[in-house]
Amino acid sequence: MLKLKGIEEVYYPQTIKETVDILRSHGDLAEVVGGGLDISVFPNPRIKFLIFLDNLNLSYVKDSSEGIKIGAMTTITNLIESDLIKDYMGGCVHSVLPEIATELLRNQITVGGSLGKREPYSDIVTLLYGLNGKIVLSDGEWDEIVSINDFYKENFKRLLKERIIKEVILEKYPKDYFFSMKRYVRNATDIALFNMATLLKTEGKMITSARVAAGSRPKPAYLMQGAGEFLKGRELSEDLAEEFGKFVEEHIEVGTDTRTTEEYRKNLSHIYAKRILLEALEAAK
Amino acid sequence: MKVKYIINGKEEEYEIHPGEVLLDVLRRNGHSEIKGNCYLGTCGACTVLIDGEPHTSCTILAAKVNGKHITTIKGIGDLNNPHPLQKAFVDVGAVQCGFCTPGTILSAYALLKKNPNPTDEDIKKALDGNLCRCTGYVQQVEAVKFAVKLLKEGKDE
Repeated sequence: MLKLKGIEEVYYPQTIKETVDILRSHGDLAEVVGGGLDISVFPNPRIKFLIFLDNLNLSYVKDSSEGIKIGAMTTITNLIESDLIKDYMGGCVHSVLPEIATELLRNQITVGGSLGKREPYSDIVTLLYGLNGKIVLSDGEWDEIVSINDFYKENFKRLLKERIIKEVILEKYPKDYFFSMKRYVRNATDIALFNMATLLKTEGKMITSARVAAGSRPKPAYLMQGAGEFLKGRELSEDLAEEFGKFVEEHIEVGTDTRTTEEYRKNLSHIYAKRILLEALEAAK
Repeated sequence: MKVKYIINGKEEEYEIHPGEVLLDVLRRNGHSEIKGNCYLGTCGACTVLIDGEPHTSCTILAAKVNGKHITTIKGIGDLNNPHPLQKAFVDVGAVQCGFCTPGTILSAYALLKKNPNPTDEDIKKALDGNLCRCTGYVQQVEAVKFAVKLLKEGKDE
């Protein structure tokens, strides 16, 4: 079954500069390929040129003064096997990763590919939104670090015609930060019907800042601005957890698709918002 | 375009369309031991090892893995000299219609290379992308555990 009938040529650049030069020369007819899952499952008939990043040495997880750097070609399996990720945020990030997709697909899905495609069902995008990941864009001559918010505020697909995602930087949050991610699936290998990631900064039980990201809505992941404002300055308690659940259910932007309904997603958002705060309360004790 | 692979230890060169997936290239060139089904990466029937790591060959672009080592089910053992996993799947009755078996065994093979003493959960997690239409999952987990025993007894590859 030849899905990508229109492909005329493929490239194996050795440097980011070479990659970007090829990308610029072919414009909208070229596509950069990370793991290649998306393009093989959802082929774009307009694409004539594929640029493989396998020779750029962008598969790594390493410590740095700026944070944990994750190369764009790093797969979910690579993340799971990384000792840095195992320890990151008390293991809360690591525990989510083996639940995403299947072993076979975790070997193929890359961090850069997930960000560059921003598919609605991506758990990686929600995860990085929640963690306030920084995206390093590069044209091979200079790098630009942008927050995930700013990246998606821009026309990111246009940005990626001039540069590629080189790596992601995760801030090394101190111990007064709490992170949790939840995803709802019908069976173990299903894509999420809804997912939510939350990062809280606390002083004792007091929440001093909060980020709440949600995805598989079925629209792409987004940062729920109002939810962060709602939690800021509030004290963790069971009552707040319930109140927050109601707030999220009322304000979250979700919809209906063939897999489930808006109402069901709203119910899930209530449950997960509440559970996350109860977990944070437990952690604060 | 031309691509080269080392398939089951033997170098092979193929003429491919640059938009083809690996599954189609391998089957066209005689590797019918790899099964094809969903073309979405959801069933795992087309599993092969690429540089030792299990992948769904229906979602891997053939051109992308040019030069890589590819292992199919025939690369780990045959009728006369089966790998302990192959023997275990037969002995335990983990093979029913057999369509998912090559992919499932390759996923198990990759697991045992990384983790020679897997728990039941490790096995289930490693095989989570290989769907069995006959729903013989219990026997598959038992077969992998039996293979671990065989390997420990020295009936290694």
